Amino acid sequence: MARVEGFVEADNAEAIITRIEHKSRKIESLLKQYKPVEALKTALEGSPPMTRDERCKSANWIVVHRALMAIKDVEGMFASLDPEYYDILMKYLYRGLSTGDRPTCEQCLRIHEKLTERAGLGCILRCLADTVNTV
Amino acid sequence: MHVLQKHDQIVSGIDWSAKSNQIVTVSHDRNSYVWNHEGAEWVPMLVILRLNRAALCVQWSPNENKFAVGSGAKTVCICYYEQENNWWVSKLIRKKHDSSVTSVAWHPNNIFLATTSTDGKCRVFSTFIKGVDKRESKAGTSDSKFGEQIIQLDLSFSWAFGVKWSPSGNTLAYVGHNSMIYFVDDVGPSPLAQNVAFRNLPLRDVIFVSEKMVVGVGFDCNPMIFAADETGIWSFIRFLGERKISSSPSKHGSQGGTGTEFLSRLADTGTFKFFIWDHF
Repeated sequence: MARVEGFVEADNAEAIITRIEHKSRKIESLLKQYKPVEALKTALEGSPPMTRDERCKSANWIVVHRALMAIKDVEGMFASLDPEYYDILMKYLYRGLSTGDRPTCEQCLRIHEKLTERAGLGCILRCLADTVNTV
Repeated sequence: MHVLQKHDQIVSGIDWSAKSNQIVTVSHDRNSYVWNHEGAEWVPMLVILRLNRAALCVQWSPNENKFAVGSGAKTVCICYYEQENNWWVSKLIRKKHDSSVTSVAWHPNNIFLATTSTDGKCRVFSTFIKGVDKRESKAGTSDSKFGEQIIQLDLSFSWAFGVKWSPSGNTLAYVGHNSMIYFVDDVGPSPLAQNVAFRNLPLRDVIFVSEKMVVGVGFDCNPMIFAADETGIWSFIRFLGERKISSSPSKHGSQGGTGTEFLSRLADTGTFKFFIWDHF
């Protein structure tokens, strides 16, 4: 399979985590304003891709999880979510499903059903086949 | 009807040269045969590929004086005919591939060869052979020697299949196992790559219908048409099997599993020859 190059080193990871904390504050304020879709977009944006650092990934997952659980109207969310976010959202849904936590899994399954309708099986394939940019 | 029986294992690749009327076959048994039609019979000639793994794909070059074989040994064999000894010689490209070579495609200039591999990359090599190919006076091809890598495209994170050149040789298309198709224009020092994601199960092979239109086939058993618009942006147009509302139902077959029906109609035009992996 593909060789992986250019991974983030430890000191860069600190910078990424700071960015994620900053994002987290923005998301909290968006949720208070009842804008869960905006919050989800902010959470998904700038997800650290080429990093093996588990802390970065976990930190971003916490932020995405917060935004995901706040979504009540799934159909409405997809009406305003751009297709470019579909692939990365699918990856986080699978991460949510892997936690085994009941409320998380229920929410992720609900969103997964609608996302598959919209994005098709290709989206799931891209999520499974990409072992380089994991979340 | 002729039965060409010589291989011991699965015949993984076959190509028929239109002008010289020769069939080349390659197999998992690591061998290749070139079949010549002599009288009423097809006579095989063994080609020693020097492989220690299965051969996976084969294609005649445009001038039909060479053929390329991709293999599970992470090598590509370029075979040419030596008149003095009346046999086919195999030259190996051993470098660069990290995994099985799934597909090979010849550029119209008979020298450049594109390969795709399960290491996710698509590469273009020079297969210039002294005595077989003529040196072109153009500066671009003057410093290419056999086995030299011209370009490596690292667009896919998963297995790559089905590479093809456009009729002019300007554009390259190949598919990834991640439900994506990649188009690369101006293959050379500064290529222009486009990644097109689609909704369906991955494709396995593609064919250029024209400079701006490609048909892809894959695990959905439903051929897909991609085309480039005036600005050169490639996108999915529609499935081959979709009917217009006005046509009568008796003309077309049923929707499911008819990838082969439509493709056999295409094959009748004599311009296409490609394979669907029906057993999936």
